[in-house]
Amino acid sequence: MKRIGRGIGLSFYGTGYGNGFPDVSRAKVRLLKDGNVGIYVGGTEVGQGARTIFYQIGSETLKLSSDNISFITEDTSLMPDSGTAAASRQTYNTGNAIKIACENFMDRLREVAKRELKLNSTQGLKVNNGKIYLEFFPRKVISFKELAQKQKGNVIEAEGEFVAQTVEMDSETGQGAPYWPYTFNACGVELEVDVLTGKVEILKTRFAQDVGRAINPHLIEGQMDGGFAMALGYVLFEDLNINEGRIKNQKFSKYLIPTAMDMIDLENVIVEDPESTAPFGAKGVGEPVMIPIAPAILNAIYDAVGVRITELPATPEKLIEAIEDSKEGRVVKHG
Amino acid sequence: MIVHRGKTIEEVIELLAKYKDSKIIAGGTDVILDIKDNKIFPEALIDISSIEELKGIELKGDFIEIGAGTTFTEIAEDEIFEKNLHGLKKACKLIGSPQIRNRGTVGGNIVNGSPAADSIPPLLCLESTLIFESLEGIRKVKLEDYLKSKYRIKEHELLTKIRFKNPEGLLNFIKLAIRKALAISRMSIATLIELDEEEKVKDIKVASGSLGRYPMRELEVEEFLLGTILGEYTVDEAVNILQNAMEKRLKGRPTLPYKKRAVKSLLKEALNQRIRSSRRVIS
Repeated sequence: MKRIGRGIGLSFYGTGYGNGFPDVSRAKVRLLKDGNVGIYVGGTEVGQGARTIFYQIGSETLKLSSDNISFITEDTSLMPDSGTAAASRQTYNTGNAIKIACENFMDRLREVAKRELKLNSTQGLKVNNGKIYLEFFPRKVISFKELAQKQKGNVIEAEGEFVAQTVEMDSETGQGAPYWPYTFNACGVELEVDVLTGKVEILKTRFAQDVGRAINPHLIEGQMDGGFAMALGYVLFEDLNINEGRIKNQKFSKYLIPTAMDMIDLENVIVEDPESTAPFGAKGVGEPVMIPIAPAILNAIYDAVGVRITELPATPEKLIEAIEDSKEGRVVKHG
Repeated sequence: MIVHRGKTIEEVIELLAKYKDSKIIAGGTDVILDIKDNKIFPEALIDISSIEELKGIELKGDFIEIGAGTTFTEIAEDEIFEKNLHGLKKACKLIGSPQIRNRGTVGGNIVNGSPAADSIPPLLCLESTLIFESLEGIRKVKLEDYLKSKYRIKEHELLTKIRFKNPEGLLNFIKLAIRKALAISRMSIATLIELDEEEKVKDIKVASGSLGRYPMRELEVEEFLLGTILGEYTVDEAVNILQNAMEKRLKGRPTLPYKKRAVKSLLKEALNQRIRSSRRVIS
């Protein structure tokens, strides 16, 4: 005996440290001896795709193929601080710092090129594809490589710093605008509840995620799939089973997380509405992608069998107990 | 700890007689965990994983013999279990993950003795016989009796074969687990059903996993269903009988209310087969 239900969950999430806390990202860009460009940044790759995004932002700003860019990351002796890979802040905050550093670096390049090309001014100098040239007289040109070779001992480099705008909340009233920017999403789930075994099977999911601008749609879809899978475990399986302060499910044979077989193909929708303060309009999605899933699933369970589960995980046993209580007219909070 | 790799059954039973405190290792999917968790401290490990005579599935007249060292993957992929014996294939396919199924053996599943061992309920329906060998000779025991502790494997014995008659009926297996892979059965039901010309139950075997201290035949359910037509009323009544049996067996267990309700789904699904016996044609 199976019942089908549908539910949706919505969320909005403020990225970055927020609440007046100083939120600073820095980056440094340097012309390397071989004419390639080194970007030095403290942003940490933890599997979320930060390095790829940083390459893309650097490459786009410098108008230079990523083949000619070296990323030097995760070594505090070589680079300035970019804050933590947390709060879904690397794309927006460190992305901005890289963009600013690249722009400052291009200004430096124009100044050095002005001298090397014996020009009066930096006006009309374009930086593109590893070359600096005068737009209306392209024969006046010097490549990054030539420039690097001529700078005996002089390093051409520039730094960039991005300080996010965050406002501390009123400590009395809790009112204010603690975060900027916010990321929005919505998830709709259709599922089946077996009213005898209490097993929940997700049938279909449509998941819409606002991203500002999708710098890398594949990575965003990866984040959405990952957020859903993580939430699926959180809602249906993951149970520490704490008994008098002791964790009883202390290994992965007991603390169950979903396998590939429990996951379904999501219908992901990427919503783009560029954020004016963001690098190319892009906002962070790392944490937001998990948030609307649990309410969507629990709402769909309610739609299917008429019971509200208020403590996670919604195990088959808990669900059966709730269904039996609701039949007997008992008002019990399940949790 | 000494580890011996046996090459023949003969060599292994001699080693078993030599080392009083030894443990047999085949796939190691249970033994290794027990050693790592400091649950067992054997003096010697006797590895039987490379003994060819313990592997494979053989048709001998009306009987099928499965070597105790046959892996779950080998059972699941053997075409002998494609037709009426599909329930055994299904049970083996639902165990663990591909890695575990490639290592774990049916013999290990039986002697490890978990109430949730997935291969046991189908083998119970088939009225399997276990064949043990030791220096004292050969011992045969019905799987059903074996599980009732008294006939369990002795220190110096090696389980070599599982043997059963190729039945006329259709074998089915249903498992309930929290997730779809790598999950231990919460409970399981296997059925072997043969219908006559009038769709009446000519022969039936029902076995359960995790509904007691060990997997077992559900004789009261079998008795009730014999000679009936598997309609809505009879199936509901069979569920009642099983629930009452569970009530006696699992009294006081906190999992009983849930299991009682969920078993309805499992037994119904296991009995829901209108397909007549389709015994594999043996050429």
